[in-house]
Amino acid sequence: MTGDEATMARLMRAAQAGDRQAYAVLLDQAAKWLRRYFRKRIALEKLDDLVQEVLLSVHAKRSTYDPARPFYPWLAAIARYRWVDQLRVEYRTQTQELLEDTASEESGEEPVMARVSLERLFDHLPPAQAEAIELVKIEGCSVAEASERTGQSPSLVKVNIHRGIRKLAAIIEKAS
Amino acid sequence: MDDATRALIDRITTDTAPVRPLRKGRGLALAGLAFMVTLVAVLFVLGARHGLMTGQFSVYFLVVNGLLLVLGLSCVTTVVAMASPQVGAGHEGPKWAIAMVGVLPAAAVLSATAPDGVGLMHVEGVHCMYLGLAASVLIAAALFVWLRRGAPVSQRLAGFYLGVGAGALGSVANGMACPNDTIAHLGIWHVAPVVIGALVGRYGIARWLRW
Repeated sequence: MTGDEATMARLMRAAQAGDRQAYAVLLDQAAKWLRRYFRKRIALEKLDDLVQEVLLSVHAKRSTYDPARPFYPWLAAIARYRWVDQLRVEYRTQTQELLEDTASEESGEEPVMARVSLERLFDHLPPAQAEAIELVKIEGCSVAEASERTGQSPSLVKVNIHRGIRKLAAIIEKAS
Repeated sequence: MDDATRALIDRITTDTAPVRPLRKGRGLALAGLAFMVTLVAVLFVLGARHGLMTGQFSVYFLVVNGLLLVLGLSCVTTVVAMASPQVGAGHEGPKWAIAMVGVLPAAAVLSATAPDGVGLMHVEGVHCMYLGLAASVLIAAALFVWLRRGAPVSQRLAGFYLGVGAGALGSVANGMACPNDTIAHLGIWHVAPVVIGALVGRYGIARWLRW
């Protein structure tokens, strides 16, 4: 269970004021939340790197959190931004079984979490683009393997990945 | 949690310093100040157009500059908000203002190509466009500084709105000195800085907003 919205917002306000202890608790809770948030949408071996990148971004840009607004949508926007960045990076991994995404199930803030989830972002992509990104960028298939599995030509797989990531980058703040 | 993440959190928290939250009001004040300085500079350097203080201007002057002002304010407000990312933030506001201003060039072309029209191309028009662009630089710089301090996650859109907003407000500032009141002039040459600003913002400035 991670911190609820009100607790995290309070901790963030304290962190902005320079409260080290509150900041440590906040980052600890944020790291747990981020692990669950990304788990289904990133290759497992990249997960820790991505969580750490987001924590560094949170630290660097902590002044951009508006204390009058909810915390998780702010964190999710930064998380999505770094995630799309990560998708841009070419990598190929051994296929590993991805664990279930449980961020929205355990947080106790279901409506908020459902609105900010990565699944919602994927819903905005045409199925062919979502499938190409899923196979090549998340599961680590080669373009040829993805082509075989989807029935798309290799060049179409590449085009769909390129267009899909561009679209994801453009809708990072979209909620539903 | 893995050890590396734990160590990272420990390292980050050791240099926790208080930070001042990025307040929208300060961003709007910064952009507003840039606009006011630009306006004063235009009036000082070029002088106020005839009839500005006495209300002796055409309805086109009022409509075009009014629409550009609304567009500029809409874009500036959105750009300032984009510095603080938030899932759920739509940033749709300026789209309707852009659509409204888009009517002006069409009206200008119709007017200029009418049998008694004045034509589209004339030297004063190009001169006016350059002045409008020059007047948008300070406003664009203020918005750019604000976005660099923030964390915009949609850089292309932020760059686009930055260019449109700065171009629109720069054109309004220049409009206070421009004596030409015809729709053929205002609809083309006073909207041109908006279009150029949009292109520069989208394809030039946006890449400098990455963080």
